[in-house]
Amino acid sequence: MNPTNATRRHVAQYRRVAKEMQSGAVRRTDACDDARQSSRGPVDEGDRVLTIRNLSVEIRRGGRLVRPVSGVSLALARGETLGIVGETGSGKSMTGLAVMGMLPAGGRVTGGSIDFAGRELVGLPAARYRALRGNEIAMVFQDSMTALNPTRRIGEQVAEPVRLHHGASRKAARERAEELLALVGIPRPAERMEDYPHQLSGGMRQRVMIATALVCEPKVVIADEPTTALDVTIQAEILDLLDDLRSRLGMSMILITHDMGVIARHSDRVAVMYAGQVAETGPTAALFDRTRHRYTHALLSSIPSLTHDRGAELFSIPGAPPDLTVAQAGCPFAPRCDAAGDRCRTERPVPSREPGGHTHACWHPLPEPAAGARLGPVVAPSAAVARPRGGSGPGDGNDVAPRLRVVDLRREYPVGGAGPFGRRRTVKAVSGVSFEVAAGETFGLVGESGCGKSSLGRMLVALDRPTSGEVVFEGESVTGRGSRALGPRRAQLQMMFQDSNASLDPRMRIAAILREPLAIQGAGTRAQRAARARELLQDMGLPAGALERYPHELSGGQRQRVGLARALALEPKVLVADEPVSALDVSVRSQVLNLMSRVQAERGLSSVVISHDLAVVRYLADRVGVMYLGKLVEIGTTEEVYGAAAHPYTAGLLAAVPEAHPGAPGSRAAGARVRGELPSPVDPPSGCRFRTRCALATDRCAAQEPPLSVVGGTHRVACHHPLRPPHTTPSAPRGSHHHGSGESQREGWSA
Amino acid sequence: MTWYVVRRLAVSFLVLIGISAVIFFLLHLVSDSPGRVVLGQRASPQAVADFNREHGFDRPVVVQYVRYLWQLLQGDLGRSYKLNENVVTLLQQNAGRSAMLSLAGLVLALLIAVPLGVLQAVKRNSAIDRSATAVSYVLYATPSFLLGLLLIAVFSQLLPLFPAEASQSHSPWVVFTDPRAMALPVITLAITSVAVFSQYQRSSALDQLGQDYIRVARAKGLPERLILTRHLLRNACLPLITLIGTLVPTLLAGNLIVESLFNYPGLGLLFLNSLQREDYPVLLAYTLIGGVLTVVGNFVADLVVAAADRRIELRK
Repeated sequence: MNPTNATRRHVAQYRRVAKEMQSGAVRRTDACDDARQSSRGPVDEGDRVLTIRNLSVEIRRGGRLVRPVSGVSLALARGETLGIVGETGSGKSMTGLAVMGMLPAGGRVTGGSIDFAGRELVGLPAARYRALRGNEIAMVFQDSMTALNPTRRIGEQVAEPVRLHHGASRKAARERAEELLALVGIPRPAERMEDYPHQLSGGMRQRVMIATALVCEPKVVIADEPTTALDVTIQAEILDLLDDLRSRLGMSMILITHDMGVIARHSDRVAVMYAGQVAETGPTAALFDRTRHRYTHALLSSIPSLTHDRGAELFSIPGAPPDLTVAQAGCPFAPRCDAAGDRCRTERPVPSREPGGHTHACWHPLPEPAAGARLGPVVAPSAAVARPRGGSGPGDGNDVAPRLRVVDLRREYPVGGAGPFGRRRTVKAVSGVSFEVAAGETFGLVGESGCGKSSLGRMLVALDRPTSGEVVFEGESVTGRGSRALGPRRAQLQMMFQDSNASLDPRMRIAAILREPLAIQGAGTRAQRAARARELLQDMGLPAGALERYPHELSGGQRQRVGLARALALEPKVLVADEPVSALDVSVRSQVLNLMSRVQAERGLSSVVISHDLAVVRYLADRVGVMYLGKLVEIGTTEEVYGAAAHPYTAGLLAAVPEAHPGAPGSRAAGARVRGELPSPVDPPSGCRFRTRCALATDRCAAQEPPLSVVGGTHRVACHHPLRPPHTTPSAPRGSHHHGSGESQREGWSA
Repeated sequence: MTWYVVRRLAVSFLVLIGISAVIFFLLHLVSDSPGRVVLGQRASPQAVADFNREHGFDRPVVVQYVRYLWQLLQGDLGRSYKLNENVVTLLQQNAGRSAMLSLAGLVLALLIAVPLGVLQAVKRNSAIDRSATAVSYVLYATPSFLLGLLLIAVFSQLLPLFPAEASQSHSPWVVFTDPRAMALPVITLAITSVAVFSQYQRSSALDQLGQDYIRVARAKGLPERLILTRHLLRNACLPLITLIGTLVPTLLAGNLIVESLFNYPGLGLLFLNSLQREDYPVLLAYTLIGGVLTVVGNFVADLVVAAADRRIELRK
């Protein structure tokens, strides 16, 4: 690319972005990608805003001493985004909090230095630290219902730092707050100033959080999992917003996340953390293309992606991250690493630096690939095991009677009370959904929060009764009957829950948890039930010792295995798994996914996998249904739906998923993004429910509800303007012409 | 909101009628012959029967209740034959003084308990926190008459700082006009509440301290003092408001002991004296006031919480 032309082009585009931002419609365009490309490169010493050298943190809790950060060195250059990625307990958040001087109670920096624009932050007196916080260094936290004070107006909360740090008058601070709310894309900011946090959606609350952090124009923003609690489409908007504001306000950003895809798309440089240490760091492209550290490699290989070969088993890292209360000798990853040798176990690896600032701390790094060769999603050759699939091929379900049939299922929940005379208002959670699941087939349900997928899941296993419609299991309706009438048939329908922490009774031992369903159904003698529990546990790959443990003594992954074992205890024919791996860390997630996939195949289970994570559903499901506001908008085989999404919503969802390789970002049609907010399920839009967020919507969409109609094979879509006939390139036709070069990499994704 | 208030008032009204019925029938079980009570053990059965017939006490109990209810709705609570006085007048004479005593005790308790609870939460598991908790439990377990007696022994007998008897003035404002004489009753009343309130406030403040908005406030660079006053306090007080609403009738009961201990002429003392005199119309009225305070206390607490926390929408 000719540099002058490139510059000229991106200046022009940048102006456009700025204009759009002022009009309130903040969106990411290619300008940001280009701007990012040109700013990539090794960190210039003179241009650093933040330098962390050999930082160590200790936290004393009761008698225990945890070392969440040990010897971390990182640098942040002016105007760049440094991504810190890692699993739970990797020390990524603690590093961010250490920079903010906000370590939790009992925590202290035990060594190293944090240099912020020439000032040493370690040991800075509290008052001077406070003057910095929220002013020159700001932090954006994960969205939660309580991230904003529930009893104070939004305007006051955004204005607070300006009044505090700049001594602004109430009026000036209000004006500034309003300006910021406009900047972060809050429509009608003057009115929203008077709102309370609960009146905003999650995405809007996160925008307010960002406004609060940026109101004093800090030099450095630390964003700690800023989008983890949000839906993919909202996540994409928020991350783009952060990107835009960073370049617009000339800030530097530290983006802390567990999500490799987010890192790949939104950071200039990456630091991968494991067990309190930086395993590998370098420019994003170099780190993903020429991964050297064994942990980074394993992590990348274990992420189910939209391009992963579905026939192959996911690579999974054995074991769990180390206990940080115990002092570690050697490489912390050694116990889980294939390549670990004696040296790894005894001697801590020294960081070795390569040209371009790519550094890794590994005694046995992966060999450098030949120059120019580009690894796809890295899969260790040993891991590319073909996985057994019990699934019947597409269409098989039509030949025999389906095991589970869902007929025009509806569920409405009353909200609040009726007015003096008014009729009762209802949330239309599920509004007429029909599909079938064949024996041995896995059906995936995807959709964002509030689409009704979990309500649907509960009705499938007769935990909730539909308002109308029915669920037919092996030819007999299971809805509209009491649990007594269902009798033993209920045992055939089982559910695996998302949060195994909440779904396992904390006061029951694992053995008792696994025996309980058998006891309720009166299966076998006590001894037989105990034997069955042991057998189940073994089958799930858990040690027999776990039987006598309580749920809190197990790790998240182990608990989720227990949840699966409990669901399988009665040898059900149908298993509904609601967000089975959402609460798990990446390296543990693939273990559970592989286990589920194996169990489905071995037992000929019909399963319904419900998830917001498109890659998880793609990995597990034979057929997929996409839900939006209580309706199925698209249904077909996994290949059909993912390979040739016909509904604009599906295409938008797919486009919003950040993929864990930096070449991918933006190449999938920025124009296909789903924008705006989910309408209220109390008063869903007329006609097509998606029309309010759809770029293709016409008058017809408002007047007439599109039926599910066949676009080819078993692929059906409910859209008046389906995107494309099947089996063509998946990228959206709109707004994708900048990305010609990206297309070639995407070939694999329909495979 | 208006609709909510109207409905709540209607429901409250029905609840109160129910309460009055239950109390009326219970008292009737205890004593079905007011004539005997009024005229004394030595009165002839004929005189008692005459009295009862004259006042309608020989009629079926349901009829008596309907008549009582009808009078109640007209604001007539009956007549105390022992004191030869209208019950409403008796209540009017005493209610203000009792209310002021309770209010003073409540305000003092809150002034101590709210900051103490927050302090304990901030310094959780410290020596201060542990000793405050220990003292709270001891005070909570101490009956208020014992506490009052101890206070009298120490601050009136041992160190003659305050009089042992409360002011006998009939003004409801005596708490302000004669604070020295009212100090011990108010303190006795407050201490018992402080123990409950501060523990409640401590756990509520602990809850709030763990919320994300506190961390966000810290990230804004706010000093701890401002974090507590601007962000934590209001949220941490919300559960306390509900608690106070449910405790209003308990305050009345607390008065009972304190008033008799310090010989303070208020509703509590009136009740105790009426109990000894078997003056049923007064007892009935006093118990009914307890019911009214329970209903009203909860209702007002709900309104206040809704005003302080906009997440709560009042409907149904």
